[in-house]
Amino acid sequence: MSSEQEISDLDLVRGIKAGDDRAFEQMVARYHARVYSLTYGVLRNSEDAEEATQDAFLTLYRKIGTFDESKKFFSWFYRVALNTAYSRARRRPALPTIAIDDYLPRFRSDGHLVAGDVPDGAIPVDDDAALRELASKAEGFISELPEPYRDVIWMNDVEQMTANEIADVLEISIPAFKSRLHRARLYVRQRLSEISKPPEPVAAAEAR
Amino acid sequence: MKKECGGTPPRHDEITCRKAILDCLLDYETGAMPEALRLELDRHFGDCPPCGEFLTSYRATGRTLQMLKPSEVPPELARAVVDFVKARCGKK
Repeated sequence: MSSEQEISDLDLVRGIKAGDDRAFEQMVARYHARVYSLTYGVLRNSEDAEEATQDAFLTLYRKIGTFDESKKFFSWFYRVALNTAYSRARRRPALPTIAIDDYLPRFRSDGHLVAGDVPDGAIPVDDDAALRELASKAEGFISELPEPYRDVIWMNDVEQMTANEIADVLEISIPAFKSRLHRARLYVRQRLSEISKPPEPVAAAEAR
Repeated sequence: MKKECGGTPPRHDEITCRKAILDCLLDYETGAMPEALRLELDRHFGDCPPCGEFLTSYRATGRTLQMLKPSEVPPELARAVVDFVKARCGKK
């Protein structure tokens, strides 16, 4: 581990508060990639994500004096970055989002899964190349989700953040985190299943 | 809102598809549930073909999502951020 890595976030925060430019540069080096990826998840555009990253660090630099050192810096700064991205997103025309309940599995009154709610086309479980192709589609499906679901699945499955980190950043409970993640995955599962339908058998097609 | 999974394990015949898929599936997949309940769900997914297929596709979705990678970071971004902040704050 290098000496730079041994410096804690709090040490860097105190350095920035004291006007140490080197501490700020180290903070940028430590977090710029994660902030960029986080804001990209909201904005889905590299130019906007770059500008949001710059704005987030500008806010960090200007507002670091308001950071309560008894809290986790990581969570505070991620909220700053997310709010920066949301603010930028609100300045553009809103993209359509889906009604997630329309895509969740349906059940009969006795609790059984409605027949036909598991699409015939199975996702190709053992085919890594096909799964990679589907992954690029999955990214698009995630972007269609309403914000609370999109952010949770992006942070969990792409950013690989822990449940506690995500709950802390979004200021939600762990059960709320789990509920959002599960519903988001159910949506992505449904959409992936829909586009993974196997080709129709030749005989069936010719019979038409 | 999803109900909380866990608590007293139900009898096998009390596990419905709805409970298995909506309330318990995430914890089942992450191993965050009592052993007795996990065994009940093992039986449900084994005995109920639609739920078994649903589980397979849910796992495939998980594998697909694991293949997502954070977007590539522009190589000069760190320098650009530092220059931007210095310029906006009147520093040389």
